[in-house]
Amino acid sequence: MESNSVHQDPDDPRSVLAAADQARQRLAAGLRLPAGLHPALAAAVAVQLGTAAYGIATHTAAGLAVAMAGVAVFLGVAVLTLRQFRRVNGVRVDGLASQVILGTGATSTLAYVGAFGAATWAAFESRWWLVGAAAVAGGAGYAFAVLRWWHAYRHDPARHAGGASPRMLAALSVLACLGLVALLAAG
Amino acid sequence: MAQLDPLIHAPARLQVVTTLSAVSEAEFATLRAALGVSDSVLSKHISALADAGYVRSRKGVQAGRRTTWIGLTSAGREALREHVAALRRLIDMVD
Repeated sequence: MESNSVHQDPDDPRSVLAAADQARQRLAAGLRLPAGLHPALAAAVAVQLGTAAYGIATHTAAGLAVAMAGVAVFLGVAVLTLRQFRRVNGVRVDGLASQVILGTGATSTLAYVGAFGAATWAAFESRWWLVGAAAVAGGAGYAFAVLRWWHAYRHDPARHAGGASPRMLAALSVLACLGLVALLAAG
Repeated sequence: MAQLDPLIHAPARLQVVTTLSAVSEAEFATLRAALGVSDSVLSKHISALADAGYVRSRKGVQAGRRTTWIGLTSAGREALREHVAALRRLIDMVD
């Protein structure tokens, strides 16, 4: 097409492929994450972890309300972030949504599960400073994992673009909320 | 064995499909800017690809204005994968 900088010979498969790859890289290179995504996501995950640990340890109606409020904060930040990404860039990338909302990467899963376990144990021991520290560490790890995914996506967008659809993410979010309620009720 | 797909064999159309493989959906204007083509040229490619079931489009609203969002279907992704594999095989044969 007109803007290609690769010399394109339509009969040469190598140059045809190179021009197509260059067009894809041009789109991916122009995408930007919303300003403040990482600190906002880290804070939202930390709030969700801390409130969930508190809710599970206290095992009261107030604790349940606090834990659900934490989930609402996290989902609110995640949805706003993804909407802003779509508005700013004019594209939707399900892989990013899966990373932000579900933490599907190994690093984010490890950071979240580790921090959740530590925060919950600390809450049962009433070591609230440790709950806070674990939650902040989990949030930072989760946000770092999203940053790592973003670099991988920019390097190979076709491989990393896929993920759960918005409907699937909504359904999984509802399931996660129900799971948290069940965990609180059982605890 | 993967075969060349005549529908996306034209370089311009291969660029449309390859670019769409980087995202789940792209706004028409974003895709046009990334490819550096006119509205009419892109519309023709999208129509042909949609007729073959390789892309889907839907109307939406972006920042208060009506827009068209375009995404590859699973058939489109598979067609691209096979076409690229066939092209690479051609390159290997030449090498």
